[in-house]
Amino acid sequence: MGLLTDEARAWANEPFAPYEVTISATDIARYARAIGETDPIFYDAEAARAAGHRNVVAPPYFPYTIRMQAANLRDRSDLEPDGSSSEDVPPVETTRAMAGETKIEMGVPIAAGDTITLEKRIVDLYEKSGRSGDLVFVVQEFRFTNQDGALVMREEFTRIYR
Amino acid sequence: MNPVLGKIVEGTEIPTQQRTPDAIDLFTFSASAWLLHRIHYDLPFTTEVDGHPGLLVHGPLQGTYMIQAVQWWLGTSAEMQSISYRHSSPAYLGDSLTCGGTVTAVDSDAGTFTADLWVKKTDGSEGNEGEEIVTTSGVATFRLPTS
Repeated sequence: MGLLTDEARAWANEPFAPYEVTISATDIARYARAIGETDPIFYDAEAARAAGHRNVVAPPYFPYTIRMQAANLRDRSDLEPDGSSSEDVPPVETTRAMAGETKIEMGVPIAAGDTITLEKRIVDLYEKSGRSGDLVFVVQEFRFTNQDGALVMREEFTRIYR
Repeated sequence: MNPVLGKIVEGTEIPTQQRTPDAIDLFTFSASAWLLHRIHYDLPFTTEVDGHPGLLVHGPLQGTYMIQAVQWWLGTSAEMQSISYRHSSPAYLGDSLTCGGTVTAVDSDAGTFTADLWVKKTDGSEGNEGEEIVTTSGVATFRLPTS
């Protein structure tokens, strides 16, 4: 134990600037194709409207692409050598990151043309002694809301460093 | 009540989907999210620096497979309300993945059901051939349309 320094705790309290993006039908189509969806509601506005949507609609976990883009679509100097975003890496003496639990609550669907705001914060930072040494857990919360202020998705993602 | 929900009971098995993500699937998933992590496309880095035997299938892609196991069974009108999942073993490029699950609870008044979901691979390592390994598992709740 002892990986969590004052510096690491201060890092966890630093606010992230909200990230805002307007979602196009092309953004949705790229993700829907990437995951192998064939339902026309993801590609064709008429089919989406016939199914009761405002426009081409995004698959449920599409907001994931927004949070990755918010972290990674920046200058190379803001990225780690392994390609991940430096912003997400706590200042602790560890070498490897692993994905922990993901918890998601859904709100209203995203349709093409929506402007989505992502607010990100660290809701928990703690350490544990594991079999292979000490582990640091970073729990991030991602809140996605649309132009009407309605919640689109809330995600809690735990990253583990050892 | 939704007529489909009437046929779903505790213990109903979700039909399994076979998913064998190839290099294009890993590339397009990374590209659609501007996900730059090398372990999904840079084989020398992944094996030599990170010590993995191959390129990794994204955890969130496996989470997506679990959502799709339900929506490809009941249609996209089955609306996901929540999901939580965790990874227990890595899945690599070339692994043949099976995704499925079991309904654990039905709430007819709310029009919802909850299911345990999983992604498994078949172990090919010497001595364990054919053994099933869970790579990702979780719990999700879906709501079916009332009409």
